[in-house]
Amino acid sequence: MLTLESLAGGESQEVKISELESKLAQLGRSKMKENQGAEATVTRAASLTLVVLVETPEAAQEVSEQICAISEQNPCRAVVLVAQPEAKPAALRAWISVHFNQPSSASAKRLCAEQILVEARGDAVNDLGNVVLPLTLSGLPVHFWWRAARFDPPDYFRQVFRLTSRVLVDSARFLHPEPDLLELAGHVKRQSAQFSFLDLNWSRITPWRELISQCFDRPETRGYLDRLERVRIEYESESPRLAAQGVQALLIAGWLAGRLKWQPGARPSRKQNSTSSFYLRSAHGEVEVQRVARRFEGAGKGVCFWITLEGGGDPPASFKLDRGCDGRSVVTRAEILGRPLVTRTVRLEVLDEAQLVNEELQISGRDPIFEESLSIVARCLQT
Amino acid sequence: MAETSVLPNPLREGIRMRRTPDACAMVIFGASGDLTERKLLPALYYLARERLLPGGFSIIGCSRTPYSNDQFREKMRQAIVTHLNLDNGNDPILESFCKNVYYLTDNFGDPKAYSQLVDLINRLDQEGKTSGNRLFYLATPPSFFPVIVKHLGSAGLAKPKDPDKTWTRVVLEKPFGRDLESARQLNRTVTRVFHEDQVYRIDHYLGKETVQNLLVFRFANGIFEPIWNRRYIDHVQIAVAETLGVENRGSYYEESGLLRDMIQNHVLQLLSLVAMEPPASFDAKAVRDEKAKVLRALRPIPMEQVNDFTVRAQYAKGFAEGKEVPGYRSEPNVSPKSVTETFAALKLSLDNWRWADVPFYLRSGKRLAKRVSEITIQFRRVPHLLFQGAVTDSIEPNVMAVRIQPDEGISLRFSAKVPGTTPQIRPVKMDFRYGEAFGASPPTAYETLLLDCMLGDNTLFNRDDAVELSWELVTPILDRWKQDGEKGLASYEAGSWGPVEADAFIERDGRAWRRL
Ligand SMILES: NC(=O)c1ccc[n+]([C@@H]2O[C@H](COP(=O)([O-])OP(=O)(O)OC[C@H]3O[C@@H](n4cnc5c(N)ncnc54)[C@H](OP(=O)(O)O)[C@@H]3O)[C@@H](O)[C@H]2O)c1
Repeated sequence: MLTLESLAGGESQEVKISELESKLAQLGRSKMKENQGAEATVTRAASLTLVVLVETPEAAQEVSEQICAISEQNPCRAVVLVAQPEAKPAALRAWISVHFNQPSSASAKRLCAEQILVEARGDAVNDLGNVVLPLTLSGLPVHFWWRAARFDPPDYFRQVFRLTSRVLVDSARFLHPEPDLLELAGHVKRQSAQFSFLDLNWSRITPWRELISQCFDRPETRGYLDRLERVRIEYESESPRLAAQGVQALLIAGWLAGRLKWQPGARPSRKQNSTSSFYLRSAHGEVEVQRVARRFEGAGKGVCFWITLEGGGDPPASFKLDRGCDGRSVVTRAEILGRPLVTRTVRLEVLDEAQLVNEELQISGRDPIFEESLSIVARCLQT
Repeated sequence: MAETSVLPNPLREGIRMRRTPDACAMVIFGASGDLTERKLLPALYYLARERLLPGGFSIIGCSRTPYSNDQFREKMRQAIVTHLNLDNGNDPILESFCKNVYYLTDNFGDPKAYSQLVDLINRLDQEGKTSGNRLFYLATPPSFFPVIVKHLGSAGLAKPKDPDKTWTRVVLEKPFGRDLESARQLNRTVTRVFHEDQVYRIDHYLGKETVQNLLVFRFANGIFEPIWNRRYIDHVQIAVAETLGVENRGSYYEESGLLRDMIQNHVLQLLSLVAMEPPASFDAKAVRDEKAKVLRALRPIPMEQVNDFTVRAQYAKGFAEGKEVPGYRSEPNVSPKSVTETFAALKLSLDNWRWADVPFYLRSGKRLAKRVSEITIQFRRVPHLLFQGAVTDSIEPNVMAVRIQPDEGISLRFSAKVPGTTPQIRPVKMDFRYGEAFGASPPTAYETLLLDCMLGDNTLFNRDDAVELSWELVTPILDRWKQDGEKGLASYEAGSWGPVEADAFIERDGRAWRRL
């Protein structure tokens, strides 16, 4: 059996499931006393309950550290669930820890995260939902971070989902990206009235979406948006996150199609070596969207795309986004035949997982553009 | 004024980032000065880094000192690196940002300089670098505002190039006038050339996050508005305290004094945000209309009553920021007989239903004990005390404090029973700090304001009527103080909380300044 005792910097303690709430209050009080200097004040803040599902104790360890970072911006109670249905013998164990921070002001410390870790082995996984229910904070939203290789919630989480306002998934973790994405699209379609969905992989492409849309903000370029004929999205094939990037390229394509009202299925999609193409119908004719996995010399870390958008219109124009050679910037180029080239270099921030979660937790409500893009991706994958 | 009308970009929808402005040329007059170097260029670079500037954005600096384009770019590059503490290494964004910076040696009074400016702007437009939109930023001593504005008008630069598609705006730094007459005169000069909608009078205080949060706090929460009136509020205090002295700005300060430098603009702006009625919407006109109504409701202080409603003082030598510091009269470029005030306290009243009989006490000064800006709402005492004996003395009225700097946040003081068998009541404070709750640092005031101005949102800028109304209140006070000279000018030790006269001033009404 792997041990979970050293979570949260060795500060955690194992407690009985039935005593979770009272022990947590006790631990909070005693830690507050320790942290209270002569003049210091300790405050307590919470803006949500964050339920996290992981598949291994190692992942629980990682998440536990991320929660400390997340709670600095989103003070919360985090309930981390390690579900191992295949493990034996069946058992249910729990640990608690608290996290303080001391932001800008020197005198005040704040209790910003209570962490509860529950490990369920074998049949005990069936009790996980019931363990979570009484632990959610009253009056505050529940966010469920599904940090697993597929989104296929088992029945024992039904009651927890009834309380949930938002589910965070990460399609970068999908083992079989295309079928898993189709499955996610199905869930989103069925359940988005009940709670909102967000994909961290979608959040990773936010700066790219923003840069693409900025290419068409100017009056002289706006018109080209309606006349695009070809979009080429190249991504780094050697990246350890190949699957993640492939899915991101799909989401970018789905987003463009959704926003520009392109209909999938103009012709069947094609796959040739490392290039896959979809053909969509726009008001002006056919649009080809190519996704190309390629090797690039000296590519930087993080998300890498080389995106070209070409279109008809008079004079013809093309818009390119190239990742800068320092790996932290993107150069955008708008080339309109016969006009001076307009280029722009901008910074591209690569956020880690905890930062992405942080950003997402600050926003409430559904993201209809994500839902639209995902549904188009699903339709394209079926052509 | 027609603003740009382009088909909406469907890709923009649902992206959480702020809209980026249209491509434009920003012309900075006073480009070799302190403000450009310390605030404007660093803020613009920050916006570029955050992907908030458009492709096709150029800066043209104008001032007297001759520089080549390259020399000026290098000076600005250094300024950005220094003021933002950047690593001096290879930064492609900084390089690309500096490539779009140009310089014109310009004497503000010389018409030739403006025709050179026209040529340069036209050239940049043709090269596709600016798209015909222009923003003129007057970062110069205010005495140059009229001449620059007039020349911009005669050079044909004040009108949008194509009124249906492009815009032209002008930003004026503070101070805007030095009394009612000069402010009116300046407004007339400016609006003869520019339409009021094109004019952005900057007050960097309004760009601060908490000031904007004040509006959200008041109007996005249902529980405060019902008690935000004379029935529940005893009085309001607004304090803007600085620890700094006049530093090397002695000659400027001698001309200005605290009332002009702080109260006429920043403090009265804060007052109008605290006291305004809920606007019908959060658009610029609605918000600015409501703010102006507050200033219009301020009861004028006639010259003969000025001493009943104000206290003025000057700092003497003392101990501040960990060292002995000289008195105001010993500062460089300050007259040894100066009667310029470095501290002022005012009691103001608003003649409207909401605020009748609720005094607003304003207090601001240099070389005070702490740097802090805070708005305090003191509520009335409970109408009937049901607790007996000694306990009742310890029941203090509720106080809500909105702190603007440092440690932006909001706190509420209320009474609680001390646990135990003896009936004891103690005030406790409930604190909310923005930094702690959200953990992210907000943009600086100049970043917010520059972006707003490029986007054509003038909510946070001063309108002509508001500027004149605030001068209307302040001018009789200035006149009386000038007439009285030394008589009535109190003194306070540098590093203290101001003169004892200020304490007596508020104690007269049975109240006390809040400990900051
Ligand atoms: N500095 C701040 O932190 C700050 C804060 C708030 C508001 N402000 C306001 O911002 C404005 C500028 O302040 P500042 O501190 O930057 O002033 P500054 O350092 O004195 O700069 C003045 C600028 O004006 C130029 N100039 C003066 N006379 C000129 C002429 N005849 N022809 C051409 N250029 C001329 C100077 O150019 P040369 O040096 O090349 O002669 C310099 O670039 C003022 O209205 C001030 O009240 C400043």
